[in-house]
Amino acid sequence: MVSYDLVDVEVTHGSADVLLESLSQDSDDHIQSVQATRLQAGQPDSELRALKQLDENSVKMLEHQVDAAYRALFKMDGKALLADEVGLGKTIEVGMILKEMHFRETNDSVLILTPAQLAKQWQAELREKFGLDFICNYDDEFNGFDDHDYIIASIDTAKSDHHRSTVLKRDWDVLVLDEAHYVKNEDTDRYDLIDRLTYNYAFFLTATPIQNELTDLYNVISLLRPGLFGTRDVFHQYFIDSSQETLVNRDELHERLHKVMIRNRRAETDIDFTDRTVDTRTFDPSPAERELYQAVSDYVKGAYGQNQGQKLVLMLLQKEVVSSPAALKHTIEKRLDEQSEPTHADELESILGLIEEIDTVTKQERLLDIVEEARDNVEKGRVIVFTQFRATQRQVLDRLASEGYTVHSFHGGHSSEEKEQIVGDFEAEGGVLVSTDAMSEGRNLQFCNILVNYDLPWNPMRVEQRIGRIHRIGQKRSVYIFNMALKDTVEEYVLDRLYHKIDLFQQSVGELSSILSRLEESGTSFEDEIFERLVNAGSEVDLENDFDDMAVDLQEQRELADKLEEFNSGVFDGFDLGASDD
Amino acid sequence: MVSSTDSTWGQVMTDAAVPVTQSAVETFTEQYLRTLGCDIDKHDNRWAVTTPNEVDSELLTDSLTLVCGSDVGDGTAEELHPESQFFQTLLTEASERTPTGKISLETDDAAVQIPKWLQGSDIEVRSADFTPYYDRTALVVLFRVSIETVSEYQTELLQAVALDTRSEEFLPTLEETFLQIASPDNEAGTSESMDMQAADIRPLLDTAREQVVGRIQETIDEVHQEASRAADAEVEEFRQMQQQRIQELEEQLSNLSARIDDLSQQINSSDAGERVEALKERKELKTEYEDVETELDDLRQCRDQGFPERQREIRARHALDVQVKPLTITEVEYESGELEVVLATDEHTRDFTAGYGTGVGITEVVNCSKCEKKLTETNPVRDIARGLTCLDCYREE
Repeated sequence: MVSYDLVDVEVTHGSADVLLESLSQDSDDHIQSVQATRLQAGQPDSELRALKQLDENSVKMLEHQVDAAYRALFKMDGKALLADEVGLGKTIEVGMILKEMHFRETNDSVLILTPAQLAKQWQAELREKFGLDFICNYDDEFNGFDDHDYIIASIDTAKSDHHRSTVLKRDWDVLVLDEAHYVKNEDTDRYDLIDRLTYNYAFFLTATPIQNELTDLYNVISLLRPGLFGTRDVFHQYFIDSSQETLVNRDELHERLHKVMIRNRRAETDIDFTDRTVDTRTFDPSPAERELYQAVSDYVKGAYGQNQGQKLVLMLLQKEVVSSPAALKHTIEKRLDEQSEPTHADELESILGLIEEIDTVTKQERLLDIVEEARDNVEKGRVIVFTQFRATQRQVLDRLASEGYTVHSFHGGHSSEEKEQIVGDFEAEGGVLVSTDAMSEGRNLQFCNILVNYDLPWNPMRVEQRIGRIHRIGQKRSVYIFNMALKDTVEEYVLDRLYHKIDLFQQSVGELSSILSRLEESGTSFEDEIFERLVNAGSEVDLENDFDDMAVDLQEQRELADKLEEFNSGVFDGFDLGASDD
Repeated sequence: MVSSTDSTWGQVMTDAAVPVTQSAVETFTEQYLRTLGCDIDKHDNRWAVTTPNEVDSELLTDSLTLVCGSDVGDGTAEELHPESQFFQTLLTEASERTPTGKISLETDDAAVQIPKWLQGSDIEVRSADFTPYYDRTALVVLFRVSIETVSEYQTELLQAVALDTRSEEFLPTLEETFLQIASPDNEAGTSESMDMQAADIRPLLDTAREQVVGRIQETIDEVHQEASRAADAEVEEFRQMQQQRIQELEEQLSNLSARIDDLSQQINSSDAGERVEALKERKELKTEYEDVETELDDLRQCRDQGFPERQREIRARHALDVQVKPLTITEVEYESGELEVVLATDEHTRDFTAGYGTGVGITEVVNCSKCEKKLTETNPVRDIARGLTCLDCYREE
């Protein structure tokens, strides 16, 4: 395809003089020298030596993941596009690679660039599963890209004017780029950043290397292995039938991709998840609870209308009111104590009054139904109850204990040893583990198969992370997820109109992250979106319509993600990119 | 931008190179140390090595502890594994110790080698008797070949070439036999100093080198293609950059021209003081204009010619450097004679005689009795009813 004779080939013959000088020597052990020469030329029997250092309880490596890590390191010289289909654990593959490099001390500086919303998740996974400590640009301790050697950052932070020059100034040992299709377009700042970065080893991740057109693949791969496909024009002429926008010369494309890309397919792996049953229960709030919800919602709406700067705390109140009166009370008292809002003091005082009116917490009572059912039907009656708030957690624990249940409490305030102990106790003693979302990161509880979402995070990733604690490889039983919500509250909207519409409770983390990444790409944060709709709706009907609109958007994103996945499968169909060539 | 890296993660495996497993490492190290006269006292994975005083080795101290594997955990012992410093140094020392030597392949040493075109068929080899007539000598050379270019990882190969010293005929079966003999899995056999002189060896080395280059041509071509693609991409990138520069200069020129025009008008319409200033400024701008114009003309000219210098430079940088170096030379004495083979099926027997050498196998081409085509592994003998009939002819029958 190119006239390659323009590049010269020079053959040099090394001198044999030294060799011939040895002719007269005593040569008893000549064959041993030949053996040594052959061993010298041989490749060390490479193996992933860090594998045995991993704690099997923290991470269970699958064969295709180990194989991918091995190939990326040893067969592709540390520059690879990991393009497994979604849900096959690309993050695990990178974790394995980084662990191995750490073991071999070839990772003095590592930069992981991810979409903003996935940064913390990366950090937690690498820490919990591989014992690798990275600082994230969202951490308080983050002092810039020149101040740490192991950094996870949102790609947009890295390319921002504030950080760009520092990022580019360093010679990085390893660059990891998650959702690498973000850099598909060579005219963007993101592409420019990656193009200018200096690094020795690079691992790019995407389930869908091709987003819109086949040249996306060219752009992503050219960043990793410049020249592999020649010039853009040549790539176009040679591999793409421009009238059809389809691939031609597939075999040669395959051959070249094989040097840099690993793509495992679900159908070829032995991943097999058990069934997941989702039971969403909505309850009528008591009149007192209804009144409280209304009062808080009115307050949030009014206060936000006046000052949008306090969005975060207002969002918090709106979430707490559906979690528990106890959680709400704590925050409101704090606001009153700090006198941060003297103008609304009366309103807040009256909300406190309404909280006092509540004798029975409906969700709490209904939770007893679920745990009782579990006590009768599953081994050691193990149930995990998730809540976002410590105050709710305390209240639920007290209530369950008063009913005679064995309870365990888990939150972010424990040391790692304590956390181990709690999980161990829960496994041994059974009963109910009431946990905050601090549990969502890294820990595996596949010995339990019932999970209750006592309240619902507005971030779908959080929900999936909770479920992922029990519904993972190694879970042998069907998994039951109970969602609890009060009728006519934001929780019911989020559940009914959003999460069920996108089949959230049946998605794998990978599928979800591809939907959400697309959403983020369009500049929207899921939580903000929910909140804005909630406070801006003129009436109940408006609110319902607003949530329906959002559901339609999500549905579209999901369909797009599905289509893309399908398209990529089509393009790579018949490419045995996962198999080793040995 | 990807910076160039050394090949930390390994190199391409070749025919003569062997995988460096932990067991190969331990086997070889033990043999080598014992050859030097060392004592090895083994406790689990710890080896206490005692070295006699007369041993001349930079690697070995009087007493030394080796630990197999990489989890040593203390500074008092040397690690012994495929990538350990100790083992790498040991290999270098061992390979440089006696790179030349002579071995003999006696009839007794090597079982008769049945050609591949006789293996795997239903025809039984009832007997195969070798009668040696002459002593012959062959040379087996191990060459290291490295293929390097800026855009690709270095390809390293280890190639064995065997040739008869008198006829200069290549002896591929002897290559296999030799690699078998010199496998690190086997205990190294005895050898002695070479009889051949440097002057006799040099021309044979040249012939062997040519053979090596011919054999790896396909690999060279592959790397060559990759390098050309990378060079093309770079040329194209440069061309685009220059095109961008041309556009910038054109804009600059048009801006300068507009400013010069403005100044000319100003000169015509202003008073003496201002006019002098304007004239001065216009002069400066005109000089600037000329400089830009020259640069632009030069660039355009280069572009029209396809930036020949830059192209040359880029292509030179991407040029392939193929290095072929002999690492070991072994003189192999073998016996040459005739092999008498008796073949049999249920109904027929047939015998034939062919030139044969110990370790070298059948040295002459044996043809199908019917079509006269050479019998090979892919077209083996299939029937002996009427001479030696090849598979192709048998199918046609």
